[in-house]
Amino acid sequence: MENVNDLKPSDLGRPDGQLTKLDKLMDLPAPYDKPGMEPDFKEIKPAWQEKYCTTLDGFVGVDTLQRPKTKEEEDEFVRKFLSGLEKIFTDANNSSLQPLSLTFEYCAKCNTCSEACHIYEASGHNELYRPIFRSEVLRKIYKKYFTKSGKLLGGFVGADIDVNWETIARLGELAYRCNLCRRCAQTCPLGLDNSIMAREIRKIFSQEMGIAPTPLHNKGSVLQLKTGSSTGINKAAFLDNIEFMEEDIEERTGLKIKVPVDKKGADILLIHNAGEFVSWPENPAAFAILFERAGLNWTLSSSLIGYDSVNYGIWYDDTQAKKIVQEQQKAAQELGVTRIVIGECGHAHKAAALVGDRIVYGEDKVPVESFLPLLWDAVQKGAFKFDPSRNDFPVTLHDPCNVVRGMGIVEPQRNILKIIAPKFREMTPHGVYNYCCGGGSGFAIMNSLNFPDFRNKVSSRMKFKQILDAFADTAADPTILKYVCAPCSNCKGAIRDIFEHYEATTKFNIHYGGLVDLMVNALADLPRPFLTFDE
Amino acid sequence: MFLTLYSLLAIILFLAFSAYKAAEYAKMPMHGRLDLYPIPKEGGRLEYGGSYYEELEWWRKPRHVSHGAEIIDMLKEMLFIKKLFDNQRPLWWLSYAFHLGIYCLMGWTVLLTVLAVAGLNGVAVMGAGAGIILVLKILLGIAGVAGFLLALIGSATLLIRRMADGSLRRYTTPQEYFNLLLIFVVLCTGIYAWSLAPSFDRPLRVMEQALSLQPLVLSGAGVLHVVLLGIMFFYIPLSKMSHYVGKYFSFHKVLWDNSPNTPGSAIGKEVEKAAGYRPHTSWSAPHIKGNGATPGKTN
Ligand code: SF4
Ligand code: SF4
Repeated sequence: MENVNDLKPSDLGRPDGQLTKLDKLMDLPAPYDKPGMEPDFKEIKPAWQEKYCTTLDGFVGVDTLQRPKTKEEEDEFVRKFLSGLEKIFTDANNSSLQPLSLTFEYCAKCNTCSEACHIYEASGHNELYRPIFRSEVLRKIYKKYFTKSGKLLGGFVGADIDVNWETIARLGELAYRCNLCRRCAQTCPLGLDNSIMAREIRKIFSQEMGIAPTPLHNKGSVLQLKTGSSTGINKAAFLDNIEFMEEDIEERTGLKIKVPVDKKGADILLIHNAGEFVSWPENPAAFAILFERAGLNWTLSSSLIGYDSVNYGIWYDDTQAKKIVQEQQKAAQELGVTRIVIGECGHAHKAAALVGDRIVYGEDKVPVESFLPLLWDAVQKGAFKFDPSRNDFPVTLHDPCNVVRGMGIVEPQRNILKIIAPKFREMTPHGVYNYCCGGGSGFAIMNSLNFPDFRNKVSSRMKFKQILDAFADTAADPTILKYVCAPCSNCKGAIRDIFEHYEATTKFNIHYGGLVDLMVNALADLPRPFLTFDE
Repeated sequence: MFLTLYSLLAIILFLAFSAYKAAEYAKMPMHGRLDLYPIPKEGGRLEYGGSYYEELEWWRKPRHVSHGAEIIDMLKEMLFIKKLFDNQRPLWWLSYAFHLGIYCLMGWTVLLTVLAVAGLNGVAVMGAGAGIILVLKILLGIAGVAGFLLALIGSATLLIRRMADGSLRRYTTPQEYFNLLLIFVVLCTGIYAWSLAPSFDRPLRVMEQALSLQPLVLSGAGVLHVVLLGIMFFYIPLSKMSHYVGKYFSFHKVLWDNSPNTPGSAIGKEVEKAAGYRPHTSWSAPHIKGNGATPGKTN
């Protein structure tokens, strides 16, 4: 196995053995600066080595990427990969052609982007996770097979990598060692974006080879297109959930709220990440309380995909992303609403507002808006009476990449927090320069085999460090409750797992939750606190 | 005479290939949105990276686009390589010396052209000169000396650093060393040829010869310099050294293009056109039907 700092892109084509092993991770601050404070990586099982690609870094993210049984299967795998690789520069890939070509062609290999990457940093600067590593592998393979210069000049232009099952499978895995957070792109002097290259690899695997992690594809977008939600919640179950939510609201707050569903002609169609109904039902409940208090004319939808804002397609498959965007628009058009408002889910913001913006067109296109300006407007209009002393504990804010770096929604959430949380403090860095939670681009829901180890110990490590730093004054004191406000479902999922992995809640009383939950917790007239922190 | 035509052709092809490259990028199809904040044209919100999405019902509000802020940011990037300055200062010193040297050499070439044209029209440009010619000659001297020295030091140190620093070396292809080396050698031959009979008027005379389509009077080293310079001019736009083209598109057309598709907008029409396009190639995974598009009109 290579020393972590000796690894080079052409090594991806090495015939056998695991390329690298993570041993020296970035240090964590107090109280996690002592030995024994975090669980070690789990050992790889021999059965996994036989079945999956464990030869990259020992983790398996793509559970559907399985070793071929025959030479024919291997050849077919290689053939399909190369055919997909060729297609990314054809009109089948029109919607990515320009940005992809720019990043493909112009990288100056200056490595200015490396230190911006939380995964590279957290890994203790393991070469494998440098943002340009996988990009360079892709360049090498493309040049070798599809460019005249590569065919004529070979190694002189960098076309020096051998392609076989192992190489391609490693590259497929490596595409899932990037959160697509785009922080690296902010630092590139040439405006290039290595996340595009990672995503294109994912697309080749999914769109050409039919290979994508089960939680994203079969149990993700496919399930959503079939049942209406990637959680598997169908219409009947959704309606049950709403009923349960109404009862829960009454129990918690004494408020009797009839949650509007399929209300024709409403102004707003609010779409939640349906995972909220399953994992954090207090979040949609808090939305209902606030929207009713603000006197908004709103509704939820029970039509197919109208009640689930997620769109995993944007992480790995353009065709799936497009179908989901169209269904969500259809749900809004059927109800005749004037706008779609996306709840606390970052990637859903990007999918509906940005990705959809280049798919849907015409007079019937329903504009998409974030919940953040809407709530900030209601706060400014005095729709809520807050008693900030109800949130009299340290609060910090996690910025979901897609909302902040990807859409430029930075201030409304801060303005609200400054009113409702007297002990609010920022993370460093924050706003558009935030670090990803480590769950971005699907990692938060990819729980097969040992992938959670990679997420909790590597991709989420920087976020955990930021959280501990933000609470440096009280982190080690379990008597003081601390709250990480993460207005995004996937980010919450990742942070939940961090806190479980490091036992941060049980040992140090560090909690997480959304923004609307914290807002309702501060409502002055509720008989008791909305948040119970009874984990 | 061959050298005269060769050098003029090199410059024409440099411009033509660069323009062709820009045209190729410009006519690429509309791509998915990849906004990356902070986006300068958001004007007042630039400081913290905000956008029009912070406004309630943004589509009902007039859009304020600050082209001035965008131009200022582009200039900062073009003239000072600001992102490298902010994010990797040690490399910036070398890269900036190199690029500043190239800018000086571009200025030097423009001054040479202006003076040569003036000289060909009977103005006395050789020797010290007087008045405006004196000023231009002083500027010519400064731009030439600074340009050659900075570009030479920059290309040499960039090359050395790339070879010495393992984290750069492992990603650098032989061609990428060659690119830097080519520029370095062109600069060396130029300096050497000039040093054989140092005078600021010599390059000016060569420029006059080139512009008046006269044979270039050069030493052996001068001939070598012009031949290599021509090769460099042919080669740059074909290589990734043409990033002066790419950089415009990656910022202006990709990361900073956040124009929304509102009904009736030009973008809306482009989206409609793109949606109607039927690609010649299609993806093959089983879950993709036909060309991957859902049949029928998008909305
Ligand atoms: S997109 Fe994010 S995770 Fe991926 S390489 Fe860049 S900084 Fe790292
Ligand atoms: S900063 Fe840009 S040019 Fe430099 S290595 Fe990274 S992607 Fe390439």
